Amino acid sequence: MVTIALAGNPNSGKTTLFNGLTGSRQHVGNWAGVTVERRSGFVELEDETFEVVDLPGTYSLSAQSEDERIASGFLAGGDVDLIINVLDASNLERNLYLTTQLLELHRPIVFVLNMMDDAERQGVSIDLEGLQVLLGGPVIPTVGNREEGLDALKTALIGVSRGLDPRIRAIPVHYGDDIENELSKLEREILRDERLAGSHVPRWLALQLIERSPEAMALLLESHAQSAIASQLKATLAFLEAHLGADGGTLLAEHRYGFAHGLVTEVLQRGHSTQRSHTDRIDALLTHRWLGIPIFLAILIAVYSLTFLVGKYPQDWIGAGFGWLQRQAGTLLPPGELTSLLADGIIPGVGAVVVFVPIIMLLMGCIAFLEDTGYMARAAFIMDRLMHLMGLHGKSFIPLIMGTGCNVPGVQATRTIEAKEDRFITILVSPLVSCSARLQVYILIAGTFFKPVPAAFAIIGMHFLGFALAMIMGKLLRLTLFRGADTPFVMELPPYRMPVLKATLIHMWEKGSVFLSRAGTVILAGATLVWFLSHYPGITRRDWTTEHLSSRATVTAMALPSAEQALRLAELDLAYESRIMNTSFAARFGRLLQPVLAPILDPDHTRAEAWKDGVALTAGFVAKEIVVGTLAVVHQASAEPADPKARISPLQDALRRRSGLTPLTALAFMVFTLIYTPCLGTIGMILKETRSLPWTLFTVLYGLGLAWLLAWGTVALGRLAGFA
Amino acid sequence: MSHFQQIQLSDLAPGQEATVLQVKAQGPIRRRLLEMGFIERENRISRSIRVVLAPLGDPMELVIKGYHLSLRREEGACILVSRLEPTRV
Repeated sequence: MVTIALAGNPNSGKTTLFNGLTGSRQHVGNWAGVTVERRSGFVELEDETFEVVDLPGTYSLSAQSEDERIASGFLAGGDVDLIINVLDASNLERNLYLTTQLLELHRPIVFVLNMMDDAERQGVSIDLEGLQVLLGGPVIPTVGNREEGLDALKTALIGVSRGLDPRIRAIPVHYGDDIENELSKLEREILRDERLAGSHVPRWLALQLIERSPEAMALLLESHAQSAIASQLKATLAFLEAHLGADGGTLLAEHRYGFAHGLVTEVLQRGHSTQRSHTDRIDALLTHRWLGIPIFLAILIAVYSLTFLVGKYPQDWIGAGFGWLQRQAGTLLPPGELTSLLADGIIPGVGAVVVFVPIIMLLMGCIAFLEDTGYMARAAFIMDRLMHLMGLHGKSFIPLIMGTGCNVPGVQATRTIEAKEDRFITILVSPLVSCSARLQVYILIAGTFFKPVPAAFAIIGMHFLGFALAMIMGKLLRLTLFRGADTPFVMELPPYRMPVLKATLIHMWEKGSVFLSRAGTVILAGATLVWFLSHYPGITRRDWTTEHLSSRATVTAMALPSAEQALRLAELDLAYESRIMNTSFAARFGRLLQPVLAPILDPDHTRAEAWKDGVALTAGFVAKEIVVGTLAVVHQASAEPADPKARISPLQDALRRRSGLTPLTALAFMVFTLIYTPCLGTIGMILKETRSLPWTLFTVLYGLGLAWLLAWGTVALGRLAGFA
Repeated sequence: MSHFQQIQLSDLAPGQEATVLQVKAQGPIRRRLLEMGFIERENRISRSIRVVLAPLGDPMELVIKGYHLSLRREEGACILVSRLEPTRV
């Protein structure tokens, strides 16, 4: 089998080529660095199997960013037989910088000159024959998103892999006599360690050492010739600094661009293109001084509506479908533990996972579409000033805004943020943004304890508080845990291109299915655990079940009018559920929590039912809207008004009369609900996106701490101001 | 034709062209700027005339080696350039 590494700059159309070659499902993006993961596909050419590995798009192999480390590590390792270097013909000189580094690897390279149509439109013509000679490998012209030139590429791959292509030649980049001299001295020292010289091209390693790449430095530490190489390196760097007046990295970069520039001068003819490019014309509008932000906001509103308003329909259908299943399981199966596990544990648990899929697919589809057009870079460009003030990146804006609909796709949308530190900070603060699930809790609580106008203010206030906290935490994280890691905002604004619908659809499907398989398992496990905690040991009490069934039978035997019968039966069911819930492990846990929650929810220790808050909040760990349902069960009062004309539901009535919450502690309850721990879905997503259990736990714990602190502050300040 | 006057890249007015004299940044930012084409004494860059200046005013967009790049002003301040003749707008 022949292993091919696909290397190229971001936005060079590398991923489209990968899709074309392997037919695999792979996203095509216009953002720098979408493919953080290494992905591969297979292609059969004349009885030979080629494995194509799509490397992250990088501007160089200096191993500075995560993406560059991945690409450079894979290329320098021994697995690569052949490299395909994708070059953007409309931006050749900068693309050739990476090529100069690839040439050092001493592997056969097939060059793909992509975006030929863009180049032609700019009036650029390229001498392909000349380029082949100067680069020492076949050069295949291809066109953007169409699959043109693929057959020629496949033919070239076969020839090169069999060593039959006469165009393959080793092309050294000449760094000037002084540097070359130092390079050979370093190579000589490297050759002392046969194992090192066997696994890495000595010249490549010498260059990496001069650039002080962390990877090369790590290799050096493992070598038994470490001291010889290190002392030569020290002498080399000192010599270069003294004689050429610059550090090694700068000198190499200058020579690489010198090579690229010389090559471009040789093979590229620039015609007179008087017409402004279409990208310039589009940008004149989209990043316009006054119109840029309104247009951005309009696009944002469109994406938001499409995701959460359109997405609500499939969500409702899914919700209704699982509700029906749950009722069927509850009525058809005999009551007992297994039925409850199925009807109250697994079915709603699976439902809680599946219900996210439509909005995830819609939002990720919109984002992929915007990325593919090139607009996402402009969105970051427009919003960076604001976000940078808060320790965040321009690209953090869209994920945070989308979080107001649901934090789960909001966290996933951070994918577009290139630099790991920026992405992590955004992920860690995004649960603070108040989502639509929390809104249901606010509506219940504010509607119970406040008059309509203050209630509306309280609800809006929660949303502002969430945003403000996200900003403050972002700044704090930047100043503490992610200090010194302020990544440069040196960002390419790629040309606008028409996205390929197929690629967007593939991307949506991929995001949906990856969510189900990765985050879904976490959510389902968590939901089942909470079911267990809130149903045991009461669910095992046969006598309770028998009692409940006989009361139901009595009511049914009374032959009441059907509406009244349904009401009576619902009351009985609720009573039975309450009985189980209020004796469950979760209730015991809620009681344990009582001393912790007392300062914020029961400051005077007068509330007999304060433990019920703890139960509801514990259950709300699964999803914040479950707080409402659980309050209904623990207080044994329906959250739905029995009489449609009633202003408040029985639950609100019960909360007002019996719970002992005051308007002030109710507000503290809202603040606590806003901040305490991300819901299970968000936790699953955070775990999937950070791949770090410590950071996921950190998000949960700081949320709990911050929630307590702010809720306590609410009560303390409120009391100072004279509220009860 | 260039009056050899050093200014910070961030002080370049929209539409002006300039040559890079020195990249003062150090560490990863320096490396990234070099890779993106800010090679000393070699280059002609032009700050785009379509910069979004207001209401946010940062970052800035410019054209270097024929492609569009955006930089924060604080990063632009690390690059010393000399102004070339203003181009026709």
